[in-house]
Amino acid sequence: MDVSGVLEAHKQKFKSVSVEGKVIPLEYDLGLLTAYDQNPIDEAELKKNKDEYLQSLSRDNAQLLFNEIFQLPTISDDNGVMAMLPVPTTLLPREKPLPKPKPETRWEKFAKAKGIVNRKKERMVFDDNTGEYKPRWGYKGINDDGSKDWIIEVPSGANPMEDQYEARREAKKERIDKNDKRRQRNLEEAAVASKMDQKTVNKGERPNMDNARAMKRKEIENQILISKNSTASAGKFDEAIKGDLKPKGIKRKFEPNVTADLSKEKAGNMSILDRVVGKNGEDLVNVRKAIKATKSRK
Amino acid sequence: MLRTITPRNARVKRVLKNREAKTEENIKTAIFIRGSQTSQIVNDALADLYMLKKPYAVNFTKKNQIHPFEDHSNLQFFSQKNDASLFVIGTHSKKRPNTLTFARMFDHQLLDMMEVSIEKGTPMKDFKTPKSAIGMKPCFMFNGDMWDQNPHYIMFKSMILDFYHGQTVDKVALAGLEYVISVTSGPMTSEGKPGKIYLRTYTIVLKRSGVKLPRIELVEMGPSMDMTFGRMTEAKPDVWKQSLRVPKELKPKKKKNITKDVMGDTVGRIHLGKQDFDKIQTRKMKGLKKRTASTEDDKDSSEKKQRVNESDDEE
Repeated sequence: MDVSGVLEAHKQKFKSVSVEGKVIPLEYDLGLLTAYDQNPIDEAELKKNKDEYLQSLSRDNAQLLFNEIFQLPTISDDNGVMAMLPVPTTLLPREKPLPKPKPETRWEKFAKAKGIVNRKKERMVFDDNTGEYKPRWGYKGINDDGSKDWIIEVPSGANPMEDQYEARREAKKERIDKNDKRRQRNLEEAAVASKMDQKTVNKGERPNMDNARAMKRKEIENQILISKNSTASAGKFDEAIKGDLKPKGIKRKFEPNVTADLSKEKAGNMSILDRVVGKNGEDLVNVRKAIKATKSRK
Repeated sequence: MLRTITPRNARVKRVLKNREAKTEENIKTAIFIRGSQTSQIVNDALADLYMLKKPYAVNFTKKNQIHPFEDHSNLQFFSQKNDASLFVIGTHSKKRPNTLTFARMFDHQLLDMMEVSIEKGTPMKDFKTPKSAIGMKPCFMFNGDMWDQNPHYIMFKSMILDFYHGQTVDKVALAGLEYVISVTSGPMTSEGKPGKIYLRTYTIVLKRSGVKLPRIELVEMGPSMDMTFGRMTEAKPDVWKQSLRVPKELKPKKKKNITKDVMGDTVGRIHLGKQDFDKIQTRKMKGLKKRTASTEDDKDSSEKKQRVNESDDEE
């Protein structure tokens, strides 16, 4: 039985899916669903019937593009048949620069050194006391600090007159404060670490926190010294704080009010004037420094 | 200029986190602005481009005194406020009629921008044909030989792809490819200047074809624009280079130790460690065992034993 005739007739009914006449084969960037057709445009056709020509040209190229897309490996999903797209070859610019790697916190460093891996835990835990599932943390969680218990036993070592509910509340507050202090410390150390290690940040690695703490401490000590010096007596008569640094050798020099040598007084006043107003009417702004400052700010 | 917001509740904190720099970025939002004077063609074009870009688009309905080629500080402010990195500014003047300016930002600073004037534009509402759904991913087509050669064309191609490609995904539903944007470059002018470009948008209709691959038919959906290039500001090379950097996580991983030989078969290389031939477990064949003096004696005696048994059997 010759079916080829029937097949031919069947095929004739439908329009072809192949496209002829493309001298230069099309280039495709399937990651972006794009086709680039380098074939020269028929200028005469374009002039004569622009829209029809453009439509037929686009149809041919769309046919070729879809032929390529349908060749891609597919997987079946809930949303239907999905074609797996390759990575796009055309480079498009990002809208924001690459994120800077954040320095490790104290805990992260410790966990890495010890090999502690963060494993995801289930949110709901079975509570034996009530016989139902409760969240592991948060609202109506099982590890509630127990301030809502209707009875609290006085622990063996405690004062029997003490209010245990109060004690529990205080303990929770303390825990919250401790956590906050640690978070603040992490933030400050991270700020210092990323500033110091600008080179490693530029390379794309995480800054080292080891010297960050020492640097932060030095910074704070420096600031204390500066603030001391800006007092009228250069910090000599400041109230001593426990554990404070002793600034050595601070003496404030007082010039005598009336001097015999007036030229010295004049020179002193002129130097102040120059610094404020500028020498010989020069610019007040040091242009070089201003450029540097704006560059560093950016 | 813009005050830094310190988050006071979780929702604001989430929004700020979303706006930070990320390895895999959000879809770029575009702002559509009208200049101090606009024409009907420009308004229609802006409206259509806005519809195609929805929902990642912001439409400024009021007119703004904005001249991007003279002063682009407004763009920086809008970009930071709306977290948008793409702009289309529509203006109309006697000197530059029916002009659209496409601009891109990197880190809220101007990256590059280009101007096109619309010679002839047909908006979507003039085509009485069905339109695709909002937010679908389009296919693109760039016809003509100029798209890799002239800087105007290169930038326009990059702009159109950047605006409308949506999210870079690794898989796409075959049924969800609804429309195609086709840009064709016309011939160069007699002075050697870049010629017109023709932007057309079509919806895709798949027809039966007797074979597995479907037959594609296109129906014009609009907008349709004939444009010429105007001024252009290219990106500074170092900023451009920085904007193209791909983070390590997104670089395609190289597959090691797998090659294709001359016949087209995939060949893999397995690296074993060093093997100690003395300690390999093999099948034991007693006859091949190493013989020493003591074992020889035993063998004789065992042979003797056998012979005795045999002789017994015989008897």
